[in-house]
Amino acid sequence: MKKNWWKILAVVLLVFTVVAGMLSEVPRLAILNETIRNLYFHVPMWFGMILILLISVIYSIKYLRNPTIKNDVIAYESAKVGILFGVLGIVTGMEWAKFTWGEYWSNDPKQNGAAVGLLIYFAYLVLRSSFNEQQQRARISAVYNIFAFAALIPLLFILPRLTDSLHPGNGGNPGFNAYDLDSRLRMVFYPAVLGWTLLGIWIINVKSRLELIRQRLYETV
Amino acid sequence: MKLFRILAVWCFILFAAAGIQQAQAQQPEMRDVEFSSAPPQQEIEMADTLRQDGKIYVVVVVLLTVLGGMIAYLVTLDRKVSRLEKQMRD
Repeated sequence: MKKNWWKILAVVLLVFTVVAGMLSEVPRLAILNETIRNLYFHVPMWFGMILILLISVIYSIKYLRNPTIKNDVIAYESAKVGILFGVLGIVTGMEWAKFTWGEYWSNDPKQNGAAVGLLIYFAYLVLRSSFNEQQQRARISAVYNIFAFAALIPLLFILPRLTDSLHPGNGGNPGFNAYDLDSRLRMVFYPAVLGWTLLGIWIINVKSRLELIRQRLYETV
Repeated sequence: MKLFRILAVWCFILFAAAGIQQAQAQQPEMRDVEFSSAPPQQEIEMADTLRQDGKIYVVVVVLLTVLGGMIAYLVTLDRKVSRLEKQMRD
């Protein structure tokens, strides 16, 4: 029970996110209307993706310093869950954009940056699957993973700010100022980010344990 | 077993949340009835909680069901892996 407290926290936070996210008061904004509530579901996908990919990079660095199977497996599984979050983020973003910006894809700099970033990570999966030898696969994909994360940060957080963007917090605006009027949004938003991220970490936890068991089974058989 | 408890806690939260909503929804109604003097009540009382506010509560229930299902699935997976880990250790 002591070891699993964070899983309970994840469940509690997610239930809170859904209930408070749907029922709490939100600012009445033109065009956005009730879709402002997507802030609790679309944006945490990206925050969660960044945090989870950061975990992946940390384990890749750990692998390069101390090459154990465990470090490699956690780095790989985190990258996969991070990509899942990114895909969900881009799909939910397109759905939201269709009804507020008018198009699924309006070539917004942040949309394009996110798409390029995801393609870089898809290449990680392809690269990984192209090696047969375990150590070679682990080492080269760890190096590539560090590069991919380093490329993702400017694509998502720096380049969109240098031009005009439909996303809030871009085109010279400090992030989040559009919603700053309202601390009610933050009351749900930060728990939502933490809840979704913990859910992702939970999936990583289960998947890496399963993968480690599988690898140990192949060793012994 | 540990994770079964997590599921129990989740169910508790779900029902607690539903209970709070119902309590909140009922309070104003009761006040109306207590202090109304003349006009007879036109509205017939029904189990209205899930039909209020543009039926947003239905969305909440659906979302909680999806979330609950996903988490229950993850909990069972987690327990299966734990059992495998135990078998590997023995």
